[in-house]
Amino acid sequence: MIFVLDEISLRNLFHQWLLNYKIFIPELSNGQKIPNLALLDKEKLEKFSTTVFLNIRTSEPLKAVFSLPKEKVAIFNDKEEKEGKEDKEEKKNLVIGAKVCDLRPLAVLKKMYLEKNFVLEEFREKLENTLIISADCPFPQESCFCNLVGLKPYAEKEVDGIIADLNLSFIDNKILIEVFTKKGEDLLKDRIGVKLEEADKEILEKQKAIRKKAEDYLRKINEKDLAENISEKILVAKEKFWGELLKTCVECFGCLYICPTCFCFLLGDFFVENHYERIKFWDTCYHPMYARVAGGLNPRAEFYKRGRNRFHCKFANFYLEYNFYACSGCGRCFHVCMGKIDIRKILLSL
Amino acid sequence: MSKIFTPIKAKILEIIDETPTIKTFVLKPEEEFNFLAGQFAALTCFGIGEGFFTPSSSPYDKEKVEFTIMKVGRVTSGLFNLKKGDFVGLRGPFGKPYPLNKFEGREVFIVGGGVGMAPLRSLFLALLHDLPKYKKVYIRYGARTPKDLVYKSSLFEWQKIENVDVELTVDVGDEGWQGKVGVVTILLDEIPCDVNTACAVVCGPPLMMKFTLQKLLEKGFHEDNIYLSMEKNMSCAVGMCGHCRLGKYFICQDGPVLTYKEIKDIEDPFI
Repeated sequence: MIFVLDEISLRNLFHQWLLNYKIFIPELSNGQKIPNLALLDKEKLEKFSTTVFLNIRTSEPLKAVFSLPKEKVAIFNDKEEKEGKEDKEEKKNLVIGAKVCDLRPLAVLKKMYLEKNFVLEEFREKLENTLIISADCPFPQESCFCNLVGLKPYAEKEVDGIIADLNLSFIDNKILIEVFTKKGEDLLKDRIGVKLEEADKEILEKQKAIRKKAEDYLRKINEKDLAENISEKILVAKEKFWGELLKTCVECFGCLYICPTCFCFLLGDFFVENHYERIKFWDTCYHPMYARVAGGLNPRAEFYKRGRNRFHCKFANFYLEYNFYACSGCGRCFHVCMGKIDIRKILLSL
Repeated sequence: MSKIFTPIKAKILEIIDETPTIKTFVLKPEEEFNFLAGQFAALTCFGIGEGFFTPSSSPYDKEKVEFTIMKVGRVTSGLFNLKKGDFVGLRGPFGKPYPLNKFEGREVFIVGGGVGMAPLRSLFLALLHDLPKYKKVYIRYGARTPKDLVYKSSLFEWQKIENVDVELTVDVGDEGWQGKVGVVTILLDEIPCDVNTACAVVCGPPLMMKFTLQKLLEKGFHEDNIYLSMEKNMSCAVGMCGHCRLGKYFICQDGPVLTYKEIKDIEDPFI
C-alpha cells in the first residue's frame, strides 16, 4: 500500500503520534547542512518543515537510539540490601526519517546482539519497542557511498533483515507513505482528520525518477566498484599498505565513535548508593588499550594493526559470515576525520 | 536488564597461597554453577570490575569451584585483597570446553607453563575421573623457580598414579630442587607417546606457547591435535563486545581453546 498526503496532513499525523510516542527526528539548526538526531516536541513541531527529510542522514548514528552510548545492563549487590531500580521507558519510540545507511547498521547490531548464542536484552527491547519510518535519500552528498556497499539511497522493504514500518518519499510538495508492516499500518490508523489517498501511477513514476537520479549521482561520484574479492584482499594486505593509508590518522577515534555499524562496547562497574551498576559504553578498537591484556601484553600495540583490525572486522570477517558488509556507506567516518582519511580510497586501492 | 551480565554471588571458602604471586580461591556459588573443563567464567571483584578465569577444579566437584589466579592487574589485585568469607561475583560458564570425547582412546599430552597450569588441572581432574577411557595422560610442567610451581603437593601425588606420567622443570633451581632445570621445552625433547594419534594440550604464557607449539610440530604432532589456550582481552564474554577478536574468531565463544589448525593463518596469535 502506498498513500499520498500533503505536508499539513503529515504534520497532523506527527501531532497525533506525539501523544503516544517518543519521536526521534532529524533537526536542522541555522547554517547546518547535516541535521542532528533530535527529540520532537510540540514546540518544535510548530516550526517543523518536511524539507529536513531531503537531507542526508543525521550527524549522529541512529544506532544511538537502540544501543545507548552509555547504558545500564545489570544491577547487583554484594550484600543482602535491596538492589537498584531498572530504567524503564514509558513511551514507545518512533524514529522518523531513517535513511538506509542507518538501517543496515541495525542489521549489524541485530546479528551481534540477538542472533548469536546470547541476547542483549536492552537492544532487543528497544528494537521491539521502536517503530521506524524510513525516508528516501534524494540528494546524496559527495561523502556518500551506500552504492559501493550494496545499498540503494532508499529503503525497499527489507534491508539486510531490518524492515522499516513505513517509508516516506518526497515528490514535489506531496509525500508518499509506503506501508511495509502491520505495525506501520496500525500507526496510520491514528489519523483523526487526515485523509490518505492511494498513490496513482503518475506520482509513482515521479518517485521512480527521483530515486534513479539519486542512484545516478551516487554512481557518478563512486564510479569504480569495490573489488569483487575485497574480503580476501583485505585479509592479505601487508603492514606497508595499512601504514601508508592511515598515516594521517591522529587517533582521535572519532570515526569509530560516530560509526553506525561499530558494535564494540566495554563494561564498567560503578557503586551507586547501595548497589553496583554495570554500565555498557560504546568502545573503539582504535584505542591502544582495547586489546591489551592484564600484565601489559598488547596484540595490537602498533597502530597499523588496529587500523587493519577495523577493516578486517567490517569488510572481511563480518562479510564472510553474513554476506553483507558491516559498513553502510554513510560517510560519517570521513566527515569527522581530522586526517581526511577517506575509507573509499583505502578500499579502492586494494 | 541483561541477565547475561548479572553475576551470581559466590562465597570465598578458602584462599590457598600457591606461590608468592598466585593464589587459589575456593568458592561456593550461591546458585547452581556447572561448567565443563576448559570453559571459563567472569569473576567480579565488587567495586573494581571483572576478570576472566578458567576454573582449576574438577568439573565433577559440585560443592565448590576453584580459580587459581596470578596477581597481574587491577582486578586480580582487588581479588588478592579479599579474605575468607568475602563474596565475589560469578558469571558463566562461557566458551567451549576441551573436547574430551576426542581424547578418548588416545594419549593426552598436557604441557603447562606457570599459572597456565590452572585450566590444565581442571582438565587433568576431569580425565582422572574417567582415566580408563584414555590411553595414557602425560603432564609436562615448567615454572620459573621451584617456588613458582603451583599445586606442588598434588603434582607429586599425580606422579604416583598408574597411567599418568608427570615431569617437571624449573628455569632456575634452588638448593632443595632435585629435578630438571631449563625451560619447559626441554621436557619435549623426548616424546614418549605416539605423535600420530596423541592430543597435545598447551596453556601458559605467550612465549612458552609459541616455543612449545614449534617443538610439538617438530616432533610430529598433527595440527588439529594440538589444543592451545588463547588469552585475549575480554569484556562481555558472550561474543558481542568485540574485544577478544582473533581473526575471524571471538575467543570467548569460539575458544578459549582452539587447535593450531584453526589459528595457523593468523599473524602472531599468542600476543
